[in-house]
Amino acid sequence: MTDILCFSRNNATTVEQPDEQTMVSSCCLQDTLTDLRLVIHVKTPHLEITNIAGEIRRSSEPEDLRIHETLRKVIGVRVGPGIKKIITGLMGTSAIEKKLVFMIGECCNGIILSFTKQVLLSAPEDKEKERDYFANMVKNSPRLYNSCAALSPESPLMDGIEPP
Amino acid sequence: MLTFSRNKLVSIYRKDDRILLVRGILEDDIYGMEMDISISMPDLEIVSIQGKWTRMENSECPRAVPFLQEAVGFRLLEDGFRQRVKKIVGRKSCRHFANILLECCDAAEDAAEVIRAEGEKEGKGTFTLQNSLEEEKEAVIATGPDKDDLDRSMAKPVKGGSAEGLVIDLHVHTSEASPCSSAPLGDLVTKARRIGLDGICLTDHNHVWDPRTLAELRERHDFLILGGNEIATDQGDMLVFGFDEDINEIMRLDKLKKKVVKTGGFIIAAHPFRGFLTFGIGQLGLTPEKAMERPLFKHVDAVEVLNSKVSDKENRFSSQVAEGLDLPGTGGSDAHEVEEVGVYATRFSGVITNEEELVEALKGGNYSPLAFRAEIGAKE
Repeated sequence: MTDILCFSRNNATTVEQPDEQTMVSSCCLQDTLTDLRLVIHVKTPHLEITNIAGEIRRSSEPEDLRIHETLRKVIGVRVGPGIKKIITGLMGTSAIEKKLVFMIGECCNGIILSFTKQVLLSAPEDKEKERDYFANMVKNSPRLYNSCAALSPESPLMDGIEPP
Repeated sequence: MLTFSRNKLVSIYRKDDRILLVRGILEDDIYGMEMDISISMPDLEIVSIQGKWTRMENSECPRAVPFLQEAVGFRLLEDGFRQRVKKIVGRKSCRHFANILLECCDAAEDAAEVIRAEGEKEGKGTFTLQNSLEEEKEAVIATGPDKDDLDRSMAKPVKGGSAEGLVIDLHVHTSEASPCSSAPLGDLVTKARRIGLDGICLTDHNHVWDPRTLAELRERHDFLILGGNEIATDQGDMLVFGFDEDINEIMRLDKLKKKVVKTGGFIIAAHPFRGFLTFGIGQLGLTPEKAMERPLFKHVDAVEVLNSKVSDKENRFSSQVAEGLDLPGTGGSDAHEVEEVGVYATRFSGVITNEEELVEALKGGNYSPLAFRAEIGAKE
């Protein structure tokens, strides 16, 4: 039977805020070959990574990786734009390290999206108000202009918005 | 209680010996999307792609779907594949589609390895991914200015300046040396001259411009073109001047500082609060006083307080922090497109003709950031 899967992957990221100064983001990657877990602790308001822990539960590659030491390299880095470039540079480039970098990126992305979610909860459904809402968002954050199809110069949401 | 969750599921099966069918699903608190990709073997090339939204951020998000076709033809094992996905799919379509596409492709690479290993176990002849890639690998196209074309002789520095001072855009990226820029140097110079800038400083990412090339460029364009370097560190991006070492790693800022001090160079913290006051992150309660405590400010000589890639609020915040720390402030466009050059710049009181004089001027502290394009617009 040809339709049987030859590979499957589940990647789950969650974010919680146990107290006002701490955010905890976890990523669990399980697939046919690999089972990795990662947890990062981030301190507000600087969003600085204060702690990180990981576990390689299963890996197809014989890795002599001292995961604790490898992960500790990212302590002190702040979650924000450009972080993926920084953690990629600080960590190694073996296959398993690349996966860990990707998972740290997922954890950081989750933290940023948890803030995005709070902002979007107030987004209006009305078309006219929606345009004003996103136009204002782009005015406040010029990097968003032309950052995706919905916020491109051709999009009705950007009608009347001057390029930054 | 969870404040956010994202789940991604990737399932792969073989349509036949030549095609992998990959299905990806992304579900999080904000977005819901699905993607079906066909990937050829053994070259791991994307031959078809379909995507759809199930939940989205705004009513215009569906505009992202047609741009997914731009990924057709991409090969997973080619150099720069991830960057191309982020730059082309992420920006033209949607970064969340780019995210699930990369997850699917990463899983497809692993799936191909599983198939290869199983084939070997069963004694079947099979392909080797890396060999396959190397056989078909295209010649690397050299980037950067054609140095052979340049006269190697050191050129006479171009003089600039006026009674009002010298206005230089201290933060410019060229397409020749920054993959993220689409601004050719020649076009940047034409635009800079046209709007009345006295000079531009090339600060390509982790790139050292040959001083002889810069001198030749100054003469060829009869315009002040200076060299700097935007170096990525563990504490963010730093604009570094008077330092010619080629850094090809993410360096600890304290280590970079030691090296720059040895050469008598100068470090400016580039856009230190980029993204920190938007998308609700401002709700964190970050105050200028708290921000001043960041370790990075112990290692920099100045702060970029005007940058066109951040919000006005973030620029104001940088300015408050610089003032609080008694550090000088600079301005630069951070141009990645020709049209962006000169949005912000720095006005120096003296004459600058080369990199050494630029560092001297920066250390002298007799300069100020300015919203150059707005200023000339007002004059016009």
